[in-house]
Amino acid sequence: MPTVSVKWQKEVFSAVEIDLDQPGYVFKCQLYDLTGVHPERQKIMVKGGLLKDDADLHKLGLKEGQRLMLIGTADAIPQAPAEVPVFAEDLPEKEQGAAVLGHTAGLVNLGNTCYMNSTVQCLHSVPELRDALRGYSAAGANILDPLSHTLTVATRDLFNELDNSARPVAPYRFLTVLRDKYPQFGQQTNQGVYMQQDAEECWTQLIYVLSQGLKSSSINKQLSAPLVQELFGVELQNTLKCAESSEASSENETVFSLKCHISQEVNHLHDGLKHGLKGELEKTSPLLGRSALFIKESHIQKLPQYLTIQFVRFFWKRESNQKAKILRKVGYPLVLDVLDFCTEELKEKLVEPRRRQFAAEEVKAGLKKDEKGKVGAEGVKSLETSTLSERKEHDMDTDGSATSSTTKSDGSGAATEVSGIYDLVAVLTHKGRSADSGHYVSWVKQDNGKWIEFDDDQPTVQREESITNLSGGGDWHMAYICLYKARAVPPA
Amino acid sequence: MAPDPMENRGAQGERMDHDDVPPTSKKDAAMGASKKKKDEKKKDDDLSEEDLALKQQLELYVERAQDAEEGIQRAALEAMRKEIRTATSSMTSVPKPLKFLRPHYKTLKTHYEVMPESELKRFMADIISVLALTMSEEGDRESLRYRLQGTVGDIGSWGHEYVRNLAGEIGNEFQQRQAADQPVDDLMDLVKQIVPFHVKHNAEPEAVDLLMEVEMLDMLMEHIDKANHKRTCSYLTSFASYVPEPDDMAVLKIAYKLYCKFSKYPEALRVALRMGNTQYVKQTLAECKDPLEKQQLCYILGRQGVSMELDDEMIDNDEQRELLQELISNSKLSEGYLTLARDLDVMEPKTPDDLYKAHLVDGRASAGASVDSARQNLAATFVNGFVNAGFGVDKLMTAPATDSSGGNAGGWLFKNKEHGKASAAASLGLIMLWDVDGGLPLVDKYLYSQDNHVVAGALLAVGIINCGVRNECDPAYALLYDSANKDDVTVRIGAIMGLGLAYAGSQKEEVLELLTPIVQDSKVGIDLAGFAAVALGLVYVGSCNEDVAQSIVLALMDRSEAELGEPLARFLCLGLGLLYLGKQEAADATMEVAKTLNEKISKYCLVTIETCAYAGTGNVLKVQALLSMCGDHLEKGDNHQAPAVLGIALVAMAEELGCEMAIRSLEHLLQYGEQNIRRAVPLALGILSISNPKISVMDTLSRLTHDSDSEVAMSATVSLGLIGAGTNNARIAGMLRNLSSYYYKDPSLLFCVRIAQGLVHMGKGLLTLNPYHSDRFLLSNVALAGLITFLHASFDMKTFVLGKFHYVLYFLVLAMQPRMLITLDENLKPLPVPVRVGQAVDVVGQAGRPKTITGFQTHTTPVILATGDRAELATDKYLPLSSVLEGFVILKLNPDYEDDHLS
Repeated sequence: MPTVSVKWQKEVFSAVEIDLDQPGYVFKCQLYDLTGVHPERQKIMVKGGLLKDDADLHKLGLKEGQRLMLIGTADAIPQAPAEVPVFAEDLPEKEQGAAVLGHTAGLVNLGNTCYMNSTVQCLHSVPELRDALRGYSAAGANILDPLSHTLTVATRDLFNELDNSARPVAPYRFLTVLRDKYPQFGQQTNQGVYMQQDAEECWTQLIYVLSQGLKSSSINKQLSAPLVQELFGVELQNTLKCAESSEASSENETVFSLKCHISQEVNHLHDGLKHGLKGELEKTSPLLGRSALFIKESHIQKLPQYLTIQFVRFFWKRESNQKAKILRKVGYPLVLDVLDFCTEELKEKLVEPRRRQFAAEEVKAGLKKDEKGKVGAEGVKSLETSTLSERKEHDMDTDGSATSSTTKSDGSGAATEVSGIYDLVAVLTHKGRSADSGHYVSWVKQDNGKWIEFDDDQPTVQREESITNLSGGGDWHMAYICLYKARAVPPA
Repeated sequence: MAPDPMENRGAQGERMDHDDVPPTSKKDAAMGASKKKKDEKKKDDDLSEEDLALKQQLELYVERAQDAEEGIQRAALEAMRKEIRTATSSMTSVPKPLKFLRPHYKTLKTHYEVMPESELKRFMADIISVLALTMSEEGDRESLRYRLQGTVGDIGSWGHEYVRNLAGEIGNEFQQRQAADQPVDDLMDLVKQIVPFHVKHNAEPEAVDLLMEVEMLDMLMEHIDKANHKRTCSYLTSFASYVPEPDDMAVLKIAYKLYCKFSKYPEALRVALRMGNTQYVKQTLAECKDPLEKQQLCYILGRQGVSMELDDEMIDNDEQRELLQELISNSKLSEGYLTLARDLDVMEPKTPDDLYKAHLVDGRASAGASVDSARQNLAATFVNGFVNAGFGVDKLMTAPATDSSGGNAGGWLFKNKEHGKASAAASLGLIMLWDVDGGLPLVDKYLYSQDNHVVAGALLAVGIINCGVRNECDPAYALLYDSANKDDVTVRIGAIMGLGLAYAGSQKEEVLELLTPIVQDSKVGIDLAGFAAVALGLVYVGSCNEDVAQSIVLALMDRSEAELGEPLARFLCLGLGLLYLGKQEAADATMEVAKTLNEKISKYCLVTIETCAYAGTGNVLKVQALLSMCGDHLEKGDNHQAPAVLGIALVAMAEELGCEMAIRSLEHLLQYGEQNIRRAVPLALGILSISNPKISVMDTLSRLTHDSDSEVAMSATVSLGLIGAGTNNARIAGMLRNLSSYYYKDPSLLFCVRIAQGLVHMGKGLLTLNPYHSDRFLLSNVALAGLITFLHASFDMKTFVLGKFHYVLYFLVLAMQPRMLITLDENLKPLPVPVRVGQAVDVVGQAGRPKTITGFQTHTTPVILATGDRAELATDKYLPLSSVLEGFVILKLNPDYEDDHLS
């Protein structure tokens, strides 16, 4: 019997005896013993051909010591996964937007409507608002005036459309309804062209309407505070002190936005806010019986989920009869701490959540590894209720409106779980010299951390550095309204 | 010689002289010396005493030379000769005696005419001949004429400049006489004196030039010796690219013979390969006796991709033959490549994301899509394949399945869609490139897949693994031939393309028999026929095989007009073109046939064949013809201008100068050309500067990537990848990163950007696509064919790269080679030695031992070499067996080496 050497992968089996009288299959079985490769899976190369199972080995003309090559493995044959992967290209076009691009669609400019587009995009970035709107039903019609109802419905539909479209959305219906409700937005020039409007006005009105509508929606009935107020409302404690007498009074007030007043001394948002919360006014003092100078100081009593800050960049210029713009550069941070503006009571309440938050962040940054265990141990000790509410709030972030309503039902418990640390999530900017002209654009942070510039129907990805560059001081886009979101506090 | 023209010339010469010598002095010279002295006194004031004396002396000689007395004449001529010969002078000014004799040139000539035939007259002719060096007008060749009438003998004694001048005049005279059919024997006698003189005086280039002009190159053989053959041959080989065919072959032949004569077999082999002369290749192998040197020869053959069976005649020892055959078949290539990779510490597999470097891109890169995009996954498949090419490990295809990823083996494979799976499976071949033993078992299991796309890809992978590597068991054919005639078209294409890749350049007859019926079968789709034609073209590249040509031509004739209009029909033409790659006139007959084809394809076919046939020849006339073709305005749907543009690049890429000129011409096309031309220009630039990221080309392409025409932008993007292929060039990588953010919304362009990124980091920067190697002297036909095929496919991005034939990208594998230098010891084990690597300097025709590299750094082998780099050993301890340090080089101990430290 002649012997051959068989090369298999990197191994060589030398001096394998081959019985020429047997068919090829027998030889394969022989190799099966050596390699463990099933004969069916064996491929033996003989002179540029494959050895057939029924081959007559005599005819191959094998030489003594000839080298054969065996290819074959005992590996499993790769199977397609049971679950066929879905590719972006397979999705229907309307779903491709968010899936492929990672952000939602733009809004078509319908003629000087960038003020509205940018406002809508900013508000659209608030998931809680989207969820709440989704739950809004026709029932609201009974409570609201019909125009407010239609506007709320139009907002809901527009948000829906934005979520599901890859192409820019044209907000015809929304615009019509908005102009019906607030005729000032339907102002036209002499040529019959709709005029540019102030985005802040649009923002305020829209929030107002929504706060009306969503307050009364069925699911939020048991709320102590209406949803929009919960989300955006800042409770302020205003104290009035007379400069001349010891007279003082205090009252509470809920506003939807904090104003950042801009003056010579203001270089940063922080300065501006301080400025805005302190004021002097002259009023009749009942004690003195004449008008006297009063100092008004405001402190935040309760913090919202979303903090809206408006830069008071426009003032009415009497001589030119238009809203003139202050171009002064006012810096604003990506992370805002509002502790300084809070009342003493609130500050006290914030101590514990803040401590937890900092600890968690340090762990995240890898500064204190063992801290985690400590936190966990403390967590056991801490009150059951607080963990519960925490968890619920955590759910709220991810889940739908149903949970959000339950969270709210906890009332003040949930509200305290704000640390006063806010992350910037949306910026509405203005470019131009007056509020009623120029161009409005919104810059919105997506869930994945990317910033998208929504310039009407053109969403473009931007880097984070370019967001802080919108602080003004030139003719570039400058921040007009900033929307900050409260940083989630880790459960105790 | 008739006296009339001579007198005319004399008169001209006189007129010429008016510039510097006043006529009076001339006349005086003919008259009495006493009178002359007086007149010249003023004029010669500025001459030194010594010069004046010399001048007067010479004037006296001139006068005496016209004396009737023979004795006086002879003495005068002797003296004159002595003066001239002994005159030493700087290179830049005319020697004094010659200068002072200038005014008497005509006098002497006139006198010469009246002299009776005698020894003295010949003597006189000698002197006039020398004087003519400075006096005779351009084109008169008086120096030569008097030389021929003068004494036969030692011409060298008149100085180097004189000989050079004479050589130049011989060249001209020779041409004129040949045109007039006159005998040239007397010239040849002179040549026989001049050549040894040149050779002896380090002026080999001049000797070669002269012999070239008188068509007597063979004469070199007897005059060149061991000491100067190197310079002579380097001059011969480098100017061969500027000589029109068939003279270039004659030049190379001399170089070959010279190298053989002095037993420089590696060099001889390079020349033989350059000539494409198999006979010479075999002869070299047979003549080379040193076994070690033989191994070096086989390494060179392997790099060139020559497939040949060694027979007893070449190597008598069986055992050695086996080893050498292994070297030729590149069996050790994978091993060497991995040695290099390990030495450079780049074995760690890279993922596509490592290359995209998303963190460096501003926020505009894809904003983290939640759903996989099939196209992006496909791009990642290619990128992963290219970057890990040949390393045998990666993180997508070969990584063992982990439970955490939830996928079974081949998890990534199924993240590709339909035909994408074919490319994904084939990318496994790319990762296992050249490693037949290790790669085939990995691919094997995919051959049993239920999914036809996977099977097709696996077949292609088999082809890729065997690309440029031959194995005695010939597994590629055994695994592929069955599938070439299966039912499924995808599987068939996979098998056919695999065969094309595995046997490119091998002229394997079995492939011919297998594929010809498919090409001719008019029932199969044009896509299948197209791929079969290209595969045949690759296997028979540059062979001018009649059978293949005929079957493709027949197929082109059979097909309907509609089918010929399809993009895949171009592959039929391309197959035809590849057959004649670089064969110049051999393609003429087929081109005639191509003219008779359906007009839909005829022009395209014609241009394709022509450009392939003249690829790498540097033929200026062809470039001009192609340029003028690009100037035409096309009325209807003609598409032959794209291959014409590419053709300019293909023809001109032969040498550096031609490249530069072609790049300039292409710039013009870019400005004035029509859209279909502009689309092809980036691709042409891509091949002109392949794997050679020249800043100028890079800038042009970078500009074009933002072109308003998206197809121009796409080809420019891919070309950026081509020029940076395997270089890791940071500048291009940066450009591509910016493009990836710029085009993040355009999936097609983004795909091109990704492919380009993959190409730039090909083989983690250890590979090159340049078809030229061995000091840019040799052109690998197979590599060039692969590039041409890919570029032709790139004319229509939408169909091929972006369509469902994206696996045409794998044609680039044919051109992929490690750009390394590995030094081996006598047992073929890697031997680390210090080498200097630097920019190559052209030293052809320079005397002495000039520096061959500049700006060098010293490394220890193995090292990688960039385009235009050259390496030289930094130690005297070893002697390399190949003069060109590229690829595998065997070193042997220098017997004369003495260790400095010990002595």
